[in-house]
Amino acid sequence: MLLTMKVAFRNILRQKKRSFLLAGAIAFGMLVITLMNALTGGVVGNIRENFSHALGGHIFIMGREWTDAGQMIMKIRPDERLDQLLEEHGAQIEGFTRRSQAMPTMIFGSRQTMQMLYGVDFAEETKLLESLIVTEGSFSEIGTEEASIILPQPVGERLGVQVGETMIIRLETLTGQQNVGEVKVVAFIKDQEELGLSAAYTSRSYLNTLLGMDPHEYQLLNMFLTDLDLVDEFARVFREGLRAEDEEEEVVEAEPAVSVTVAGMPMDPMTEREELTPWEGTRYQIMHINQIMEAVELVVGVLNRVGQVIFLILLVVTMVGITNTFRMIMIERTKEIGTMRAFGMHQKQVKNIFLWEAVFLGLLGCIAGLFLALVISFIVGGIELNTDPSMQFFLDNGKITFIFSLTKVVFNTAIVVFISLLAAYWPARAAAKMSPIKALSSHT
Amino acid sequence: MNRMRFLSAALVLCFLAAGFVVPANAQDFSHIEAILERLDRQSRFENTDFSSVLTMVVEDQEKGIEKMVVRQFRRDDGERFLLLIQEPITEKGQGYLLEGDNLWFYDPSSRQFAHTSLKETFQGSDARNADFGSNSYSSSYEVEGYLEGTLGNFEVYIIDLKAVDDTVPFPFVKLWVTKDSDLVLKTEEYSLTYRLMRTGLYPKYTKVGNVVIPVQMIFVDELVEGNKTQISVSEISVNDIPDHVFTKAYIERVNR
Repeated sequence: MLLTMKVAFRNILRQKKRSFLLAGAIAFGMLVITLMNALTGGVVGNIRENFSHALGGHIFIMGREWTDAGQMIMKIRPDERLDQLLEEHGAQIEGFTRRSQAMPTMIFGSRQTMQMLYGVDFAEETKLLESLIVTEGSFSEIGTEEASIILPQPVGERLGVQVGETMIIRLETLTGQQNVGEVKVVAFIKDQEELGLSAAYTSRSYLNTLLGMDPHEYQLLNMFLTDLDLVDEFARVFREGLRAEDEEEEVVEAEPAVSVTVAGMPMDPMTEREELTPWEGTRYQIMHINQIMEAVELVVGVLNRVGQVIFLILLVVTMVGITNTFRMIMIERTKEIGTMRAFGMHQKQVKNIFLWEAVFLGLLGCIAGLFLALVISFIVGGIELNTDPSMQFFLDNGKITFIFSLTKVVFNTAIVVFISLLAAYWPARAAAKMSPIKALSSHT
Repeated sequence: MNRMRFLSAALVLCFLAAGFVVPANAQDFSHIEAILERLDRQSRFENTDFSSVLTMVVEDQEKGIEKMVVRQFRRDDGERFLLLIQEPITEKGQGYLLEGDNLWFYDPSSRQFAHTSLKETFQGSDARNADFGSNSYSSSYEVEGYLEGTLGNFEVYIIDLKAVDDTVPFPFVKLWVTKDSDLVLKTEEYSLTYRLMRTGLYPKYTKVGNVVIPVQMIFVDELVEGNKTQISVSEISVNDIPDHVFTKAYIERVNR
């Protein structure tokens, strides 16, 4: 066995140029599939991370209730069941936020713009203030001035408002009545998301006043978990724990309900009015990041499959090359095969020499392809791209991310080796079956 | 014991005082409420349909001046209206259909109906969808107080209204109503925090049968400097409108 492997390896080195070209073809296929897998893996990871960041969590809990006038509104009142669940699973929760939200028109002079506004309990969300990058002003007045606002820098520029000035926000209460508030701009922040989903922040109690809610109420409870693998299980536990006695089991939609979750605002118009029978008390809707990611993963899955098909086509083309090359090798080495057979080498050993050559070629190609993929991903991954803001969703701080999966690398290598073996099998069998006498008397 | 007697006597005196003060302060709003009922009644086409063409000039400090032409069909008996946008050409074919409590917006580019509300603004103008139907002051608002005054040459009641529930967009409204002819000349609409949001001016009216409708309306945005919308009503008709006009199928068909 060792002898056949040694001979096979030596044979590869005998024809360096030919071996280089064959391994190069395999390496190219391996390079393409590895980069594609790593790129799609990175894109999925970045989208998941960016969505979680933009939406403020991995699990999103919303409360719905009916008013006396028969109108459904979105709010969560203090609820012991919810507090208990949060306490019970505190170890797996990295952090959670209780926010109110609105999409008000912000007005300054004759300029106006619509902007997502979160009502935040600043005492509770210290991490938020730490994560925001102040470009002008400071957060020092946040605690003392309730009607204050933190604005993304581009919004402030669009409105022409300066830090310290007062601007107007126009919004609707939960029941749709018009309301107006005056807020003092205390700070501009860097538009961190660069995703078109950036938000302004004010105190939750003030926003609640404008929305017609009590100060201790809120609209969204977002949770960050310590482990993303817990997302589905957490969603199930909270869904069951918060379900009212008379409530039917919530049907988790196959389609991601992005319209409900993105900043709490419908992203597309409601085409049909949802017919619901009013209920007593609050009913909860629990969404999670995986529901949003389902669609993304579906697209990525298709891309990966397309990549796999291209990879297989490349390998089939390479396989034809390997078969032809091995047939040539067999003819070139006819006398050599005859000599080896005359000195007592078995048919199986001759066949194995050819097959090991194919395995080594495949493995060398895979290693070269992987090495090239690593080099390219390292270089490309280090470049900061100034792309369109919508592209930022796919990137990690403006950079392309490559995530290599060991399983996929092993799987692709196995395919390459298998196809190389398959390509070399018939020439190897023909070489093994060659008669030593005929081979020695051959003119080649 | 004496102290207890003194306290009881003081309490009784307080109740008596309160009993005298409350009726003295209470105002009789019945004649104002009657005016509101008349305003509502004279804005409704009870036995006829109504159609007209609305020419809207929207002045926006950022976007400039835009002209819109909208064909309006109304059937107040049944709470229906249809607004079909004819100009500008980019918005031609868009329509609003009110069917009882449901208001639908149709966009021919997507060929879809989206649910909307009477409380929403109309096409980014300063008018609201509710401005295109009949009034409902008497049922939606209660009188909080009133004054007598003049507006230009007209003797008016200046009436303060408060919404009875949250079905109307503005929780507080102030009306200037002529004393002699029950015409609303001016409105001021306030937010829940009692900030003036919009002023409506109604300088011209016309009488169609028993109904009096403003043929010129000006809505001024009091929050965004310089934004206002002027609406002129023309081609008024009270001829019967076929039932199929107030259907989704009609909006879709009329745009083909």
